[in-house]
Amino acid sequence: MAKHKIFFENISEPISVSTGTTLVDAAQSAGVDIQQPCGGQGRCGRCVAKITSGHVRRRSSLRLTNEDIEEGYTLACQSVIESDVSVYVPEQEKIERRLVTDLIAKNVLVPENYDGLIHQSIKRMNLDISPPTLEDQTDDWGRLQRVLRKEFQIENINISLELLVKLGNVLRESDWKVHVILDIEINESGLHPRLIDILPGHISGNEPLWGIAIDIGTTTVSVWLTDLISGEVKAQVAEYNQQITRGEDVISRIIYANKNNNKIEMADLVIDKTINLLIETACKRMQIKSSEIYKATISGNSTMIHLLLKIPTASIRLSPFVTAINEIPLFTAEDIGIDINPGGTIDCLPGVASYVGADITAGVLSSKVNETDKTTLFMDVGTNGEIVLGSKDWLVTCACSAGPAFEGAGVIDGMRATKGAIEEVWISNDSFEPNLRVIGNTKPKGICGSGLISLLSELFLVGLVDKAGNIKINLPIDRVREGEHGAEYVVVWGEDSATGADIAINKVDIDNLLRAKAAIYAGFSVLAEKVGVPLETVEQVLIGGSFGQYINVEKAIQIGLLPDLKWEQFHFLGNTSVQGAYKSLLDWRTREKVTEIASKMTYIELSADNKFYDAFMSAMFLPHTDLSKFPSVEIAVNENLLKTDLE
Amino acid sequence: MSIEIPKDSWPGEVRTITIGATAEEGGTRTSTVTVGGEKTLPFMHFESPMPYRPVVAIEIKDRKPDDWSQLLNETWGEVMENPGLWAKAAEEVGAEIIQLSLSLTDKDGNRNTAEAAVSAVKNILENTGLPIMVYGPGQAEIDNELIVPISDATKGERVVLGICEDKNYRTIVASALANDHLVTARAPMDVNLSKQLNILIQDMGLSLDRVLMDPTTGALGYGIEYGFSVMERLRLAALQGDAMTQLPMAVTVGFEAWKTKEAKVGVDVPKTWGDWLERSITWETLTAISLIETGADIVSLRHPESVKRVRAAIEELIAVPAIA
Repeated sequence: MAKHKIFFENISEPISVSTGTTLVDAAQSAGVDIQQPCGGQGRCGRCVAKITSGHVRRRSSLRLTNEDIEEGYTLACQSVIESDVSVYVPEQEKIERRLVTDLIAKNVLVPENYDGLIHQSIKRMNLDISPPTLEDQTDDWGRLQRVLRKEFQIENINISLELLVKLGNVLRESDWKVHVILDIEINESGLHPRLIDILPGHISGNEPLWGIAIDIGTTTVSVWLTDLISGEVKAQVAEYNQQITRGEDVISRIIYANKNNNKIEMADLVIDKTINLLIETACKRMQIKSSEIYKATISGNSTMIHLLLKIPTASIRLSPFVTAINEIPLFTAEDIGIDINPGGTIDCLPGVASYVGADITAGVLSSKVNETDKTTLFMDVGTNGEIVLGSKDWLVTCACSAGPAFEGAGVIDGMRATKGAIEEVWISNDSFEPNLRVIGNTKPKGICGSGLISLLSELFLVGLVDKAGNIKINLPIDRVREGEHGAEYVVVWGEDSATGADIAINKVDIDNLLRAKAAIYAGFSVLAEKVGVPLETVEQVLIGGSFGQYINVEKAIQIGLLPDLKWEQFHFLGNTSVQGAYKSLLDWRTREKVTEIASKMTYIELSADNKFYDAFMSAMFLPHTDLSKFPSVEIAVNENLLKTDLE
Repeated sequence: MSIEIPKDSWPGEVRTITIGATAEEGGTRTSTVTVGGEKTLPFMHFESPMPYRPVVAIEIKDRKPDDWSQLLNETWGEVMENPGLWAKAAEEVGAEIIQLSLSLTDKDGNRNTAEAAVSAVKNILENTGLPIMVYGPGQAEIDNELIVPISDATKGERVVLGICEDKNYRTIVASALANDHLVTARAPMDVNLSKQLNILIQDMGLSLDRVLMDPTTGALGYGIEYGFSVMERLRLAALQGDAMTQLPMAVTVGFEAWKTKEAKVGVDVPKTWGDWLERSITWETLTAISLIETGADIVSLRHPESVKRVRAAIEELIAVPAIA
């Protein structure tokens, strides 16, 4: 048999192999490590290598673009050697980076043309006030207002009793040289200036003026400490919403809050036990006092905002599902109990409906759905899936309860995406052995949302699970067995897990996942149908929510969670809610846009007719009852069926 | 003045399926039954003639049932003790197919066995030349235990094996594949669930030319509207070209109608309910005819008089009206 010389870059001596040897085998004999998470099936694309001279026969080029192929990239496991070649094997990390683009939230960019002095409604002014004399006995407050009117043309300023109490002392102790913080509260009816604080002495205009953007998620609360002068985010901190101890999803929190008037406790959990601690952490990091923060712009779903403000939530849960308020007036920090300057402004962004809250209006703003010509699907996946379809001319929205399965709850071995969570699974279609990627590279503890999506997709593709989600039993494989809850597939044996117990997925888990994905996909279908826009014609899909950052698009399409569009049409944006709060915090014109978005969005109540139920049942299948909606999955399944023979 | 009757034409059609095999076809049946092939909604002759008429099966058991109405026991009498004779009697009163429903237990309450079930089926095959359908008692594990040996013992007969449901279809489908039989796929009154099950069965390699679907129904007064509507939607989808719904439908009318209170109870009921026997037969007949009008291709009945009435109704419906 013919022998060929293979040169691996970085290895001085070529090796010699027979015709028909695969490139991975050749690499192994040369001592070059090429990872094959999918077990050499040509499915995962992690074994990419570059042919720098010569040619190989490619059995498959799945996952490589035409450009990649032109540049010489090939899948090592699918490359058959038939002549002499030189090969460059890139470092694994680089490969993953190349394949997994756009996964990491971008650095926060200050909006273009931001000018803190013009666009910011919080103003800081140094004042020199003439002391009173026997000739001029104007009152202290009148004196201060006079300067503001004369030098800054600001009139009719509101002041609180607390500030009036300290006004005289501050003026006299600082020898009538003070600086004031004002919120000029601009809106369409003009200026409504309010004094936030009065402080001794003058301050340089470049000194930071602090504000915070807050996103109250059902699971996670994020706080961005921002300098309102430069617009820069100086500290980003996040922590679990401590209300989690009183229920994982909004419904159980509403039930808890309504029981025995527990709403005070719920507010304390999110304000004192979460937000205020986050503010403290952020302030420590910047070495400032929390009283130096003069404004907080808050985003979050409608339930979270109601619980924050101690407004009863019962009507959100019960038909016909209305909130107490969608467009919330401004409050002061003292009113709410948020630990910034007591006079600081609290601006809660407006929501649209009970289950489409400020997090979505903020998300639309920051993802710019309202500015694009492209037909766009925007989704924020968490416990609830909120979906917006539209473009600059129109926006429709709906919410569907996906349940907590993608956040790791409702699945026996599910967990949040933290250290020890299995986040990616590949299953070999010869041996049915899994290959895992675990967050933090430790022994696995459980499976997180992205891991579950990836696991379900693999089980389906290799034929261990049928289209209805039934695990095939009576197979000559140890990993498939009859468990406590019916058939199950063991992902990790006890000896290899962090807890010592087997990590498995069973039929009940799969049903929960199917329900979750079906609810979201049914939301897409109904929304698209209502406005007569076929899903296939959607030009881009923007995915917000921290969960979205880790979804593998291909796997999500294979289980029918995301519509079957081209991978490059999907964009992950990270936490779009806090980004929207941040932009609204900076610029009052942007803040007005959020109100505009909220009023422009048409909310579609999915429980109003049986369309959603029909779409839901239709989506309770892998990938979907209507296979023609998922052409790429059909191809992938058929390719795999050729390789697998379980019948 | 002439009236123009508007006509619809549809892109799809229902598959044509033959149940039973004669000696030349590798079986032992003296007759076979073909259903399906509809190109339009039922009995719309002016749009497209119905190629095969709906057929009536009689449901029998492998032993005298404990829970059937006294009226049925009186009608069938002694033959209920012997499935072969029961099948023969059913053929005599007009059955076009024998549908055997296997019992969960024997008369002493012991779990039914494969030997007993196979011998009941053989007995039936010897006593009638009609094609047969065999349904398990409805518990996954026992169904598989009984149906597989029957399937093996009747290889080539083109028996309809049932019932396949989404949680339990693999064993029965595999056995039908191996022995050249057909299957019934039953889903709980939902268009999507019916489609999903048909996809699963097709995925195992069984051609849909060998699948009947049972969309499940309720008797008159017990949810028939829902069953009617699901069947109608399935048939409309089939005619519109949805391949996964283009299967003939077989429904267990007798089972549904005879478990209603109106059929079961003869004493202490309001006088206005009328004669017990007449009421029960009417119940079964009306349920069957309603479902035939929404697209049922096979109805399984229990009472001979209902069989007579339903067949007569089909006769009238299938006749092409002179005015057309």
